[in-house]
Amino acid sequence: MLKRVLIVDDALFMRTMLRDIFVEIGWQVVAEAENGEEAIAAYEEHRPDLVTMDVVMPEMGGIDALKVILSQDPAAAIVVCSALGQKNLILDAVSAGAKDFIVKPFQRDQVLEVVERVIAS
Amino acid sequence: MDVLKFREMFLAEAAEHLQMMVDILVQLDSDPEDQDGIDALFREAHSIKGMAATMEYAETARLAHHLEDRLDICRKQGRISGVEIDWLLEANDLLKLLLEDIRNDSTERSIESFLGTIPQESEACPPLEGKADGPLECDQGQQIQLRLRDTVVAPGARFMVLLKRFSDFGTVLGSTPSAEELLQGGESLHLAVTLKSDLFQQQIHDQLLKYSEVEEITFVDEAEVKKEKQPEKRPSGKTVRVSTELLDHFINLTGELITNRNQLQNALRERQWEELDDGVGQLVRLVKNLHHQVLQVRMVSLQGLTGRLSRTVRDLARNHKKEIEFQVVGAEIELDRAIVEELTDPLVHMIRNAIDHGIEEKGTITLKAWRERDQVLVQVADDGCGIDPDKIRQRALEKGLLNPSQAQTIRDYDLFQLICQPGFSTADEISETSGRGVGMDVVKTAIERVGGLLLIDSSPGEGARITLKLPISLAIIRVLIVECDGSWMAMPITRVVQTVEISPDEVQSSGKQLMINYQDELLPMLSLRKILKRPQGSPPETIPLVVTEVMGRKVGLVVDRLVGQREVFIQRLPAPFDQIRGCNGGTILGDGQIVFLLDLQSLFERRRS
Repeated sequence: MLKRVLIVDDALFMRTMLRDIFVEIGWQVVAEAENGEEAIAAYEEHRPDLVTMDVVMPEMGGIDALKVILSQDPAAAIVVCSALGQKNLILDAVSAGAKDFIVKPFQRDQVLEVVERVIAS
Repeated sequence: MDVLKFREMFLAEAAEHLQMMVDILVQLDSDPEDQDGIDALFREAHSIKGMAATMEYAETARLAHHLEDRLDICRKQGRISGVEIDWLLEANDLLKLLLEDIRNDSTERSIESFLGTIPQESEACPPLEGKADGPLECDQGQQIQLRLRDTVVAPGARFMVLLKRFSDFGTVLGSTPSAEELLQGGESLHLAVTLKSDLFQQQIHDQLLKYSEVEEITFVDEAEVKKEKQPEKRPSGKTVRVSTELLDHFINLTGELITNRNQLQNALRERQWEELDDGVGQLVRLVKNLHHQVLQVRMVSLQGLTGRLSRTVRDLARNHKKEIEFQVVGAEIELDRAIVEELTDPLVHMIRNAIDHGIEEKGTITLKAWRERDQVLVQVADDGCGIDPDKIRQRALEKGLLNPSQAQTIRDYDLFQLICQPGFSTADEISETSGRGVGMDVVKTAIERVGGLLLIDSSPGEGARITLKLPISLAIIRVLIVECDGSWMAMPITRVVQTVEISPDEVQSSGKQLMINYQDELLPMLSLRKILKRPQGSPPETIPLVVTEVMGRKVGLVVDRLVGQREVFIQRLPAPFDQIRGCNGGTILGDGQIVFLLDLQSLFERRRS
């Protein structure tokens, strides 16, 4: 069955880049969200197999959204995306339940590796 | 509903699923680590279970459920053993027979005896020499050392992810750096994990290879680790002796919890709310049981104390040239060790007081302990001359603790409690063991620190009795939650005599003080809002009242609402909040709400002063 992903990032560029990667490996991008609130709503609606979640976003950030989603679906597979200088945010996200993380700027292969092992685990 | 038609559909579909299972099982026999195969098998069993349960074919559903459980374990182990495959094939045959029974409209045959043949999850530990590539489940776990590439951007977070991954493999017994250290920003390219798992080294190794950030993986020989660890092996500080029986209880409980976890996971995955509800109900029971057992480990009897106390009695008696008999009743009563530890000094002090001031030349001191509901009462009684109320009254007047009119009206009982006021002493001269009073405030403070209550009682010529009311254990206690001005607050249930709701007509007044007739006793009514300096609420139709005992006196505490009882884990408040009088801790409820624990004693004291 087609694997389904929800892409959450406030930057159109990042969303497009991630979308291309997922489409290339045969995934279905069920929705894109620009902030935490949209992400929560989209997750509730689509229940995707994977979420890529930007950490820093306007309005509600990624870590808060992650916590809400996990409180509703403890099995949610969420991978956070964060910039190089945000080590503490990544730690927070992981301890809040993110399955893995990707550090921006990233290469296609890094994304694939993370996606593959999160789905396999 | 056309049951017959549904039954036919069920039988046909179930037969298909069974056939599918056989096909997959045969394939798995040659490739036991085929994840997709195991997953597919699980789904087949799951489908059969769901259909059978809907049709109310109990035995069929039950057997399918067991298959599911077994397969779930295989899924986690990432492989399926030959023994397991054999068993599943037999189960498959039995399912076919059950379908026959259903088709023939006869009662489903029992699967009980077959369930007895479920392969044991963990077979005996493999012999030690075979550990080159054995499961990591025996002994103390195995240490695995990881080194990250130095190009890895956030090694701390990466290790956190890996630690979580390790906990998928089994139980992480420890790591260096620990998760806490990682969270505090500790960064290193090395991580050592001690893991207890029933996976094979090779399987774990393969999983770790998926992390390109990891440069080096080393499985450390257990013997070497042990050698390194030897020097720091001795646990520092406190150790406990635990009976093997109790340990067996723990193991049984762990087993039940694992089953429960599986049930909950299944229910969640299938969004079976009823089953989830059932599982949570079980979890409640198990946690309660576990709590009880853990408390058992912490329980010690007073016996350890009594030795020291009789020694104190003997020494003091000799010093004072008095003839004193020391009797102990109820030394077998058990309390949380933390409480017993806190109790030593106060008891020594109370006994000193009794010898110093209570008993003149010859007498008996009795240490008595007994259980009363959730409390343990410890009493030190002497048969000496008792406490002279007039002396106390005079002293209290001198010290300004009472004004002349109060001194006239105060009951003896309340008067005695004044002994515990800081600096109060009736000793005419200071003796070696100091006057009664010096130290009683310390005793009281120590008792209250563990959530207890100190009561003094005496009649002239009949000696004095000091009674300590103590909770059996610390930390987890049962509380009554009440509402006051929109906030919830808790008080230890041990402090609550009763809760009642009264109508405003029942309130009487005596001067400025409102009173209520409670079981033929007039109790003063005190408003929690007033004590906490909250605004007055609108007059209610019925007045919720908590009858409690303060300074040995019953009072009716008026609250806005009685919310109910809970079992909660009390945490101390961090500084500087621990200085707030009237509040000695807090707890976090299931919904995240913080509720403060009211310290009624000091609340009322504050009000008095």
